[in-house]
Amino acid sequence: MRERKAKKGDPLARAVMLVCSSVCILGIALIFIFIIKESLPAFRELGPSNLFGAQWSPDVSEPAAGKYGMLAFINGTLLTTLGGLLLGAPLGISTAIFLDQVAPRRAARVIHRGVEMLAGIPSVVIGWFGLTMLVPFLARISGTGGDGLLAASIVLGIMTLPTITFLSLEALRSLPPEYKEASLAMGATRWQTIRRILVPAARRGILVAVILGMGRAIGETMAVQMVIGNARQAAWGPFQRTSTLPSRIITDMGESSGLFRSALFAQGLVLLVLAMLLILAIRLVNRERGRGR
Amino acid sequence: MSPKTADRVASAVFWAMGGITASALLFIVVQIFWRGLATALSPSFFLGKPRAFEEGGGVLPMLVSSVYLAAWTLIIAVPVSLGAAIYLAEFARKGSRAAGAVRFCADSLASLPSIVFGLFGMTFFAAYLGWGTCLLAGACTLALLNLPVLMRSAEESMRAVPAAYREASLGLGAGRWTTVRQVVIPSAMPGILAGTVLTVGRVLGESASLIYVMMLVTRKVPSFSPFSNAAPLASNIWYTQTEAIIPDYRRVVDGGAALLLLLVLAVNLAARALGKAYSKRKGVKTADARA
Amino acid sequence: MPELEHKMRIEGLCLYYNGFKALEDISMKVYCRRITALIGPSGCGKSSLLRCLNRMNDLVEGARVEGVLELDGEDIHSACRDLTALRRRVGMVFQKPNPFPMSVFDNVAYGPRLTGRKSRGELEEIVERSLRRAALWDEVKDKLRQSALALSGGQQQRLCIARVLAVQPEVILLDEPCSALDPISTQRIEDLLAELKSSYTIVIVTHNMQQAARVSDYTAFLTIENQGEPGRLIEYGETEDIFTRPRDQRTENYITGRFG
Repeated sequence: MRERKAKKGDPLARAVMLVCSSVCILGIALIFIFIIKESLPAFRELGPSNLFGAQWSPDVSEPAAGKYGMLAFINGTLLTTLGGLLLGAPLGISTAIFLDQVAPRRAARVIHRGVEMLAGIPSVVIGWFGLTMLVPFLARISGTGGDGLLAASIVLGIMTLPTITFLSLEALRSLPPEYKEASLAMGATRWQTIRRILVPAARRGILVAVILGMGRAIGETMAVQMVIGNARQAAWGPFQRTSTLPSRIITDMGESSGLFRSALFAQGLVLLVLAMLLILAIRLVNRERGRGR
Repeated sequence: MSPKTADRVASAVFWAMGGITASALLFIVVQIFWRGLATALSPSFFLGKPRAFEEGGGVLPMLVSSVYLAAWTLIIAVPVSLGAAIYLAEFARKGSRAAGAVRFCADSLASLPSIVFGLFGMTFFAAYLGWGTCLLAGACTLALLNLPVLMRSAEESMRAVPAAYREASLGLGAGRWTTVRQVVIPSAMPGILAGTVLTVGRVLGESASLIYVMMLVTRKVPSFSPFSNAAPLASNIWYTQTEAIIPDYRRVVDGGAALLLLLVLAVNLAARALGKAYSKRKGVKTADARA
Repeated sequence: MPELEHKMRIEGLCLYYNGFKALEDISMKVYCRRITALIGPSGCGKSSLLRCLNRMNDLVEGARVEGVLELDGEDIHSACRDLTALRRRVGMVFQKPNPFPMSVFDNVAYGPRLTGRKSRGELEEIVERSLRRAALWDEVKDKLRQSALALSGGQQQRLCIARVLAVQPEVILLDEPCSALDPISTQRIEDLLAELKSSYTIVIVTHNMQQAARVSDYTAFLTIENQGEPGRLIEYGETEDIFTRPRDQRTENYITGRFG
């Protein structure tokens, strides 16, 4: 039935639908074209060695002017993402298991709603919370300024939590109830059932949840910008200030022009490529999943 | 450790994890409201005009800009997403390459960081199309950003319409297009509406993609030109705390954050109510599937 | 005829789901090393009764059981009763074959692994023995590492039986184990049951009269009089008697209706 084409008489409707559908394709193509176009000058004139170098000193007034290296920010992005996932993934996955298998129905419903609420909190609000509550707290216990990698990681952990929780929950809920029944009927405890049957059976869905959480962490801008300190050098310690790619773009874009601006677009291009890599990773995982477990 | 003990320990751990998640959430929400709700709910704040160098400013123009921005975003995104969703749900053949390409692009679009949309918006809408930094450029950027989610929710709502409805309509001699218009879309409406309302919530909270597409210039109230600059509430919160020029910027940001959170929560609750009305209509079906 | 030794005793059992009475006043004995069939129209509660026997109804929210249910003279509902130990003694095979999404070997080894570490050799021995008993070994001995989901439906069901055998239960409950299978696979399962009864006590729910008549030694007939009423045990006795000389008119109607 569905395969049958539209009846004659609605070619206009069909044309409109096709135009609407192509907007997505057009949109992603234009995004690629324009971001590549804007970052071309940086690639051409600075070369990858400058662009992917460790030094970022774009202001003309600085002694080492003309250094547009984004390595420190790639480092910041990866470290905060990793930190965010170290916090968000275990918490999110176990919250999902808790909601699906352990919690009484009413408690599960309340917490489920709560996490939904968390997903809706705008990132500036989380950022403001981080800046006024988390950073002072970290400052007190560490004797530093409080902002930096750790603060950004915690904020990202909070922000990836809903994504990871809901997608893991969906993966667990899509399992046939027979698995759990069969396992319990064999005399397995609930924990044995979770660990040996449910989580392994849902592992690909959970992996997708973590990858999507990762995507959210890599791209998060405002909340991170507000708590990471926005320093230009690479950082390794939890209380050192640094920047991520998005936070650097949003901080510097206002005052940039020429090559400086183009270098920021090049950072945007790196983000774009990272996001596409994650999409491909998810496709790969899902294809495996489709092929039978 | 015996399996029984392990089971007890694991249960305790899961309770603790669930508890941490719930209390972290509660803590954030309570903190934001605790510090800002009084300000947010005072008329001098949400009906007041901002002041640059003195205390006591409000956020009315920002609030208006946010709502106006959301309206334009929906005007652009909803028809497009509906058109695409009708194609995907009703007309695309199974395994069609075109539909596959649309889905892949939508998935990609959905996973791009919002700052990338911001970069695109400022070069394409503001610069290349020559609109300049303005509210409409922001709305177009956000329309693109929200397109995949809107499309997916509309497509899913349409797919959830029982095939029997379609067959009944087709059996009466109605064409496919008529069937879609008269039967499928009305039945899918609550789901489509819920998805749309959720988008409003996301637009209200969005800031990273907007800062350099709209330039945070406070609008005059009333002013309805989509081609002028605007400073919506969320972006303005960020800007106010970054610049910290206003003497009582903390109060403004606290109040703004609480107001924003309140709005977003209200909008999301509305979406849930719509969704619930939706599932009530299919109540019998979903109940059976659960049992 | 001397009274046989019984494995389980049910006395005055009632089952409620959220206040709805699903079973009323069921009393019967399940005899050692015999096959007991539960028959009756759909909705009569025969599967629910089966699920009482290893307390799978505990998973259903709002389910409550009253009455006596004993395994070897011990109440299975007493507070100190270890639920996992009970289910290891009373294994269950479900209507739809439900192997875990893992290899054939891991499916069968699942139960033995639950109770603690076992050596590779021990596990291999248990797996082979269980698969042989389930008459599946010859078909899968070269595919032990392959996914169990690749097996045919009938093989999957025998795998599920092997999986239960691997934990060495005393009682095996089967809930319409052949309803999703073709006649040949059904035949193999029935042959298997006939063999297994020399060492296990078996209770089988079936909607198939011929199957009950073919495989079982004892038959219990349950029915509901009207929609909304609880299921009751109408008649219980040796299969031959039930099918040839039913004492109750309702049993006779059901059986002749189904046969005729």
